[in-house]
Amino acid sequence: MRIMDFLDAEAVEPNLKATDKKGVIEEMVGLLVRAGSVKEADKTEITRVLLERESLGSTGIGQSVGIPHGKSDRVDTLVAAFGKSNLGVDFDSLDGAPVHLFFLLVAPHDSAGPHLKALARISRLLKDRFFREELKKSMEQKALVEIIRAEDEKVQ
Amino acid sequence: MPTLRRTVVIHNEEGLHARPAALFVKVAKKFDASVSVRRGSQRVNGKSIMGILMLGAGKGAKITIEVEGIDAEEALEELIVIVEENLG
Repeated sequence: MRIMDFLDAEAVEPNLKATDKKGVIEEMVGLLVRAGSVKEADKTEITRVLLERESLGSTGIGQSVGIPHGKSDRVDTLVAAFGKSNLGVDFDSLDGAPVHLFFLLVAPHDSAGPHLKALARISRLLKDRFFREELKKSMEQKALVEIIRAEDEKVQ
Repeated sequence: MPTLRRTVVIHNEEGLHARPAALFVKVAKKFDASVSVRRGSQRVNGKSIMGILMLGAGKGAKITIEVEGIDAEEALEELIVIVEENLG
Protein backbone atom coordinates (compact mmCIF):
# COMPACT_ATOMS: atom_id res chain seq x y z
CA MET A 1 0.00 0.00 0.00
CA ARG A 2 1.24 3.45 -0.95
CA ILE A 3 0.36 6.67 0.85
CA MET A 4 -0.49 8.43 -2.38
CA ASP A 5 -3.15 5.75 -3.00
CA PHE A 6 -5.29 7.26 -0.27
CA LEU A 7 -3.85 10.76 0.16
CA ASP A 8 -5.18 13.31 -2.32
CA ALA A 9 -2.68 16.09 -3.14
CA GLU A 10 -5.40 18.66 -2.42
CA ALA A 11 -5.63 17.38 1.15
CA VAL A 12 -2.02 18.38 1.84
CA GLU A 13 -1.58 21.64 3.76
CA PRO A 14 1.80 23.23 4.53
CA ASN A 15 0.55 25.69 7.10
CA LEU A 16 -2.17 24.67 9.55
CA LYS A 17 -3.53 27.66 11.43
CA ALA A 18 -5.12 25.89 14.38
CA THR A 19 -3.37 25.99 17.71
CA ASP A 20 -5.14 23.25 19.67
CA LYS A 21 -6.17 19.64 19.19
CA LYS A 22 -9.82 20.30 18.41
CA GLY A 23 -8.90 23.07 16.00
CA VAL A 24 -6.36 20.95 14.14
CA ILE A 25 -8.81 18.12 13.67
CA GLU A 26 -11.53 20.49 12.41
CA GLU A 27 -9.11 22.17 10.06
CA MET A 28 -7.88 18.86 8.70
CA VAL A 29 -11.37 17.50 8.14
CA GLY A 30 -11.74 20.72 6.14
CA LEU A 31 -8.82 19.52 3.98
CA LEU A 32 -10.71 16.31 3.27
CA VAL A 33 -13.68 18.44 2.18
CA ARG A 34 -11.38 20.57 0.01
CA ALA A 35 -10.08 17.42 -1.68
CA GLY A 36 -13.62 16.13 -2.21
CA SER A 37 -12.96 13.10 0.02
CA VAL A 38 -15.64 14.13 2.53
CA LYS A 39 -18.91 15.96 2.01
CA GLU A 40 -19.28 19.38 3.62
CA ALA A 41 -22.45 18.12 5.34
CA ASP A 42 -20.48 15.29 7.03
CA LYS A 43 -17.76 17.52 8.42
CA THR A 44 -19.24 17.83 11.91
CA GLU A 45 -19.90 14.12 12.26
CA ILE A 46 -16.43 13.09 11.10
CA THR A 47 -14.81 15.65 13.39
CA ARG A 48 -16.83 14.23 16.28
CA VAL A 49 -15.66 10.66 15.55
CA LEU A 50 -12.02 11.75 15.44
CA LEU A 51 -12.27 13.72 18.69
CA GLU A 52 -14.01 10.80 20.34
CA ARG A 53 -11.10 8.58 19.33
CA GLU A 54 -8.65 11.13 20.78
CA SER A 55 -10.48 11.00 24.10
CA LEU A 56 -9.54 7.30 24.37
CA GLY A 57 -5.85 8.16 24.16
CA SER A 58 -3.86 10.63 22.15
CA THR A 59 -2.73 9.70 18.66
CA GLY A 60 0.30 11.91 19.18
CA ILE A 61 2.81 9.09 18.89
CA GLY A 62 5.93 11.08 19.60
CA GLN A 63 8.73 12.59 17.52
CA SER A 64 6.43 15.46 16.58
CA VAL A 65 4.01 13.16 14.73
CA GLY A 66 0.26 12.84 15.18
CA ILE A 67 -2.01 10.38 13.37
CA PRO A 68 -5.60 11.21 14.32
CA HIS A 69 -7.82 8.51 12.90
CA GLY A 70 -11.31 7.16 13.14
CA LYS A 71 -14.01 5.14 11.46
CA SER A 72 -17.14 6.41 9.85
CA ASP A 73 -19.45 5.12 7.17
CA ARG A 74 -19.75 8.64 5.80
CA VAL A 75 -16.73 7.63 3.68
CA ASP A 76 -16.74 4.72 1.22
CA THR A 77 -13.04 4.13 1.28
CA LEU A 78 -9.96 5.06 3.31
CA VAL A 79 -9.17 8.77 2.95
CA ALA A 80 -6.35 10.86 4.38
CA ALA A 81 -5.10 14.38 4.87
CA PHE A 82 -1.63 15.65 5.70
CA GLY A 83 -1.06 18.92 7.51
CA LYS A 84 1.88 20.73 9.00
CA SER A 85 1.86 23.09 11.92
CA ASN A 86 4.93 25.25 11.86
CA LEU A 87 4.49 26.38 15.45
CA GLY A 88 3.57 22.95 16.75
CA VAL A 89 0.42 21.98 18.62
CA ASP A 90 0.02 20.57 22.09
CA PHE A 91 -1.58 17.20 21.29
CA ASP A 92 -1.14 15.38 24.63
CA SER A 93 1.58 13.39 22.91
CA LEU A 94 3.16 10.39 24.54
CA ASP A 95 6.50 12.17 24.70
CA GLY A 96 4.90 15.45 25.78
CA ALA A 97 6.39 17.34 22.82
CA PRO A 98 4.33 19.48 20.43
CA VAL A 99 3.18 17.91 17.18
CA HIS A 100 4.19 19.41 13.84
CA LEU A 101 3.30 16.68 11.35
CA PHE A 102 -0.25 15.36 11.14
CA PHE A 103 -1.57 12.47 9.12
CA LEU A 104 -5.31 12.16 9.51
CA LEU A 105 -7.14 9.01 8.43
CA VAL A 106 -10.83 8.21 8.10
CA ALA A 107 -11.98 4.76 7.06
CA PRO A 108 -15.33 3.00 6.79
CA HIS A 109 -16.20 0.62 9.62
CA ASP A 110 -15.51 -2.64 7.81
CA SER A 111 -11.95 -1.77 6.87
CA ALA A 112 -9.72 -2.98 9.71
CA GLY A 113 -7.16 -4.36 7.24
CA PRO A 114 -6.57 -1.30 5.05
CA HIS A 115 -6.71 0.98 8.09
CA LEU A 116 -3.93 -0.96 9.82
CA LYS A 117 -1.90 -1.16 6.62
CA ALA A 118 -2.18 2.60 6.21
CA LEU A 119 -1.00 3.19 9.78
CA ALA A 120 1.88 0.79 9.16
CA ARG A 121 2.85 2.56 5.97
CA ILE A 122 2.74 6.02 7.54
CA SER A 123 4.78 4.85 10.53
CA ARG A 124 7.32 3.20 8.27
CA LEU A 125 7.94 6.40 6.36
CA LEU A 126 7.81 8.79 9.31
CA LYS A 127 10.26 6.74 11.31
CA ASP A 128 12.97 8.23 9.13
CA ARG A 129 14.25 11.40 10.78
CA PHE A 130 15.45 12.88 7.49
CA PHE A 131 12.04 12.46 5.95
CA ARG A 132 10.46 14.21 8.95
CA GLU A 133 12.97 17.04 8.73
CA GLU A 134 12.36 17.46 5.01
CA LEU A 135 8.62 17.70 5.59
CA LYS A 136 9.12 20.24 8.35
CA LYS A 137 11.33 22.42 6.17
CA SER A 138 9.03 22.47 3.18
CA MET A 139 6.56 25.36 3.00
CA GLU A 140 4.63 24.59 -0.16
CA GLN A 141 1.91 22.11 -0.98
CA LYS A 142 3.51 20.95 -4.22
CA ALA A 143 6.87 20.38 -2.61
CA LEU A 144 5.33 18.41 0.24
CA VAL A 145 3.43 16.19 -2.16
CA GLU A 146 6.64 15.55 -4.07
CA ILE A 147 8.59 14.69 -0.90
CA ILE A 148 5.89 12.25 0.19
CA ARG A 149 5.61 10.75 -3.26
CA ALA A 150 9.36 10.28 -3.60
CA GLU A 151 9.70 8.67 -0.17
CA ASP A 152 6.64 6.52 -0.88
CA GLU A 153 8.33 5.16 -4.00
CA LYS A 154 11.74 4.75 -2.42
CA VAL A 155 10.70 2.80 0.67
CA GLN A 156 9.53 -0.77 0.27
CA MET B 1 22.00 -12.45 29.65
CA PRO B 2 19.61 -14.85 27.88
CA THR B 3 16.92 -13.59 25.57
CA LEU B 4 13.40 -14.65 26.45
CA ARG B 5 10.91 -14.92 23.63
CA ARG B 6 7.36 -15.93 23.08
CA THR B 7 5.21 -16.03 19.97
CA VAL B 8 1.58 -14.98 20.08
CA VAL B 9 -1.19 -14.76 17.53
CA ILE B 10 -3.26 -11.59 17.28
CA HIS B 11 -6.92 -12.45 17.78
CA ASN B 12 -8.40 -9.00 17.86
CA GLU B 13 -10.43 -8.01 14.78
CA GLU B 14 -8.66 -4.67 14.56
CA GLY B 15 -5.19 -6.07 14.98
CA LEU B 16 -2.36 -4.32 16.76
CA HIS B 17 -3.63 -0.81 16.01
CA ALA B 18 -2.65 2.52 17.53
CA ARG B 19 -4.26 2.22 20.95
CA PRO B 20 -2.94 -1.23 21.90
CA ALA B 21 0.41 -0.27 20.38
CA ALA B 22 0.53 2.74 22.69
CA LEU B 23 -0.34 0.58 25.67
CA PHE B 24 2.26 -2.03 24.72
CA VAL B 25 4.96 0.62 24.47
CA LYS B 26 3.93 2.23 27.74
CA VAL B 27 4.31 -1.09 29.54
CA ALA B 28 7.52 -2.03 27.69
CA LYS B 29 9.08 1.24 28.80
CA LYS B 30 8.52 0.46 32.47
CA PHE B 31 11.19 -2.21 32.26
CA ASP B 32 14.94 -1.97 31.93
CA ALA B 33 14.95 -4.97 29.63
CA SER B 34 15.21 -4.33 25.93
CA VAL B 35 12.07 -5.33 24.07
CA SER B 36 11.79 -6.12 20.41
CA VAL B 37 8.94 -7.49 18.37
CA ARG B 38 9.32 -9.60 15.28
CA ARG B 39 6.90 -10.40 12.54
CA GLY B 40 8.35 -12.44 9.72
CA SER B 41 11.61 -10.86 8.74
CA GLN B 42 10.72 -7.50 10.29
CA ARG B 43 12.10 -6.71 13.72
CA VAL B 44 11.23 -3.50 15.55
CA ASN B 45 11.89 -1.80 18.85
CA GLY B 46 9.09 -2.69 21.26
CA LYS B 47 9.49 0.67 22.99
CA SER B 48 8.56 2.67 19.89
CA ILE B 49 4.95 3.11 18.80
CA MET B 50 6.02 3.81 15.26
CA GLY B 51 7.97 0.57 15.36
CA ILE B 52 5.00 -1.48 16.53
CA LEU B 53 2.65 0.16 14.04
CA MET B 54 5.10 -0.54 11.25
CA LEU B 55 4.51 -4.24 11.71
CA GLY B 56 0.93 -3.78 10.53
CA ALA B 57 -0.01 -6.84 12.55
CA GLY B 58 -3.65 -7.58 11.76
CA LYS B 59 -5.90 -10.37 12.95
CA GLY B 60 -4.22 -13.74 12.64
CA ALA B 61 -0.71 -12.28 12.48
CA LYS B 62 1.94 -14.08 14.47
CA ILE B 63 4.33 -11.89 16.40
CA THR B 64 7.29 -12.81 18.54
CA ILE B 65 8.16 -10.71 21.56
CA GLU B 66 11.81 -10.84 22.56
CA VAL B 67 13.10 -9.40 25.81
CA GLU B 68 16.55 -9.23 27.25
CA GLY B 69 17.62 -7.79 30.57
CA ILE B 70 17.42 -8.02 34.30
CA ASP B 71 13.61 -7.85 34.48
CA ALA B 72 12.99 -9.71 31.22
CA GLU B 73 10.79 -12.39 32.67
CA GLU B 74 8.39 -9.97 34.28
CA ALA B 75 8.31 -7.78 31.18
CA LEU B 76 7.48 -10.70 28.92
CA GLU B 77 4.62 -11.80 31.16
CA GLU B 78 3.02 -8.37 31.19
CA LEU B 79 3.43 -7.81 27.47
CA ILE B 80 1.92 -11.16 26.61
CA VAL B 81 -1.10 -10.30 28.72
CA ILE B 82 -1.55 -7.05 26.82
CA VAL B 83 -1.42 -8.72 23.46
CA GLU B 84 -3.69 -11.57 24.45
CA GLU B 85 -6.25 -9.80 26.57
CA ASN B 86 -6.15 -6.08 26.28
CA LEU B 87 -6.30 -5.60 22.57
CA GLY B 88 -9.31 -3.46 22.08
